Amino acid sequence: MTFISVEFYLLLAIVAAVYFIVPLKFRWFILLLGSLAFYVFQGIEMLPLMLLSSFVGWLFGLCMGKVYERDPKQKKKAKLFSGIAIVILIGMLAFVKSSRYMPESVASKIIVPIGISYYTFSIVSYLIDVYRRKYQAEPNFLKFTLFTAYFPKVLQGPIARYDKLMPQLAEGHKFEYGRFCFGLQLMLWGFFKKLVIADRLSIFTNTVFLDAANMSGSVILVAAIFATLELYCDFSACMDLASGMSQIFGIELEQNFDHPFFSKSAAEFWRRWHITLGAWFKDYVYMPIVTSPRMAKLLQMVKKHFGTRCGKSVMAFVPLSVVWVLTGVWHGTGRAYVVWGIYWGAMIIISQIFAPEIKKLNAFLHINVESESWKIFQMVRTFALFSIGRMITIPNSLSTTALMFRKIFLDFRPWQLVDESLYTFGLDRKNFLLALFLFFILWSVSMLQEKGSLRLRISEYNVVFRWMIYYIAIIAIIVLGIYGPGYDASSFVYIGY
Amino acid sequence: MEEKIYELLSEEFPAIDFKGSDTLVDDGILDSLTITGIIATLTMEFGITIPYEEIIEENFNSIAGLAKMVEKLSNK
Repeated sequence: MTFISVEFYLLLAIVAAVYFIVPLKFRWFILLLGSLAFYVFQGIEMLPLMLLSSFVGWLFGLCMGKVYERDPKQKKKAKLFSGIAIVILIGMLAFVKSSRYMPESVASKIIVPIGISYYTFSIVSYLIDVYRRKYQAEPNFLKFTLFTAYFPKVLQGPIARYDKLMPQLAEGHKFEYGRFCFGLQLMLWGFFKKLVIADRLSIFTNTVFLDAANMSGSVILVAAIFATLELYCDFSACMDLASGMSQIFGIELEQNFDHPFFSKSAAEFWRRWHITLGAWFKDYVYMPIVTSPRMAKLLQMVKKHFGTRCGKSVMAFVPLSVVWVLTGVWHGTGRAYVVWGIYWGAMIIISQIFAPEIKKLNAFLHINVESESWKIFQMVRTFALFSIGRMITIPNSLSTTALMFRKIFLDFRPWQLVDESLYTFGLDRKNFLLALFLFFILWSVSMLQEKGSLRLRISEYNVVFRWMIYYIAIIAIIVLGIYGPGYDASSFVYIGY
Repeated sequence: MEEKIYELLSEEFPAIDFKGSDTLVDDGILDSLTITGIIATLTMEFGITIPYEEIIEENFNSIAGLAKMVEKLSNK
């Protein structure tokens, strides 16, 4: 049961109906029941592991709270409690994620709870924040379990922070028609991106990448571009669905996307793509390394022997290297994911360390960095860099990735881009051209969203025009959506992480 | 102290007008990578350790906030 299944929307409708019927103070409990029911439908065997993670987070958070109650200066004891809990939680995550390296007989018995990467990171952030005394520990286990398993965000995030989500969950919200409509609109856009765009593109990309050895470089290049847009539409669609359904309950989830392909650098891209993951690594890995006494000592030592410039390079290199290797491992356990992490890390580190030289080079080449044409070039470059990254992780085999790059450079057949060849990889001429038109719609909507809330603007239109937009969107989803057997769309890509 | 830090950071980050805003972080003028650069510069120049607790908007929003933080940490 995913966000694209009839059963899920039956569950959502029941939870929403009951939520708005029961008294305000019990509404959080309905969300908890809904979240547990969602887990049961996913596979009841996943429930105990999720509850165990929740229990560990709640218990050790409470222990830290008691320690601070007795003596607010007892940070060492609190650190011990938070350390033990984090080792248990990350250990569980690492264990289930490394099942691919275990013998088949063992691996087949390992249960991987849905959303484990997301809820584990949420609980870890809670434990560190309680240790830092950012807020008090949660005394109620059931409320903490709701924070862990709140069903709109458990599939693919966003990686929720306790201080932002829990107060909203605990507070009962009244039904608001405007908010309800806003939620539905966002979900409609999510459906459109997933069913009409992402799943259409996946037909082409799956056909090409499953048989990459027999494809030409030009076809692989088109598939890499499609795969980038497919992932964006797939992942951001899931976020729109999660945020939209959460808005119906009056709960705002954190923003996870901010039109990343308008970014002008790799660093900016990662501030706009999967925002909550980047923010998590920044707050709980990157900044602690940057501000550690050891780092300060290292900088002063490097400055003394090699100068200030070298010290700054060390400051750019050490924390970013750790963060990007971990980001790679978070996405997957294969070698390809480590290489992918190093790829992004190296790019951001190099742009940091050599920023003065890059600036000089731009000046030497008389590049007006403020011009629109340069900004467009930077955006295209960001897109290309992301597409290269996708080619590293899609086959999850570095030799296949190398083969695909070889093909792009040594077996590029440009005529295939203009003759009928591209219509033979799952998408016929009609569907292929439709895909190109959909890119235009995606780009147009993104441009409008960049200028302000599109939903707000639509809500200001007259009722006839407004409903015309909704009907067109609904009909487009029904008519143009890609549906598999039993009307189940293909599952979301990021669920696997 | 304020003047020294201003000169230091202006040389290091010429694109940023450090005196033009008292809300450098709130306005998004300083991102996390720039903040790291500022931490590195101040750590090496003043021989201080800037702990995690000090990475707050109040300290990084203006030159005055940075100077106050450096003075406090230098006296520790």
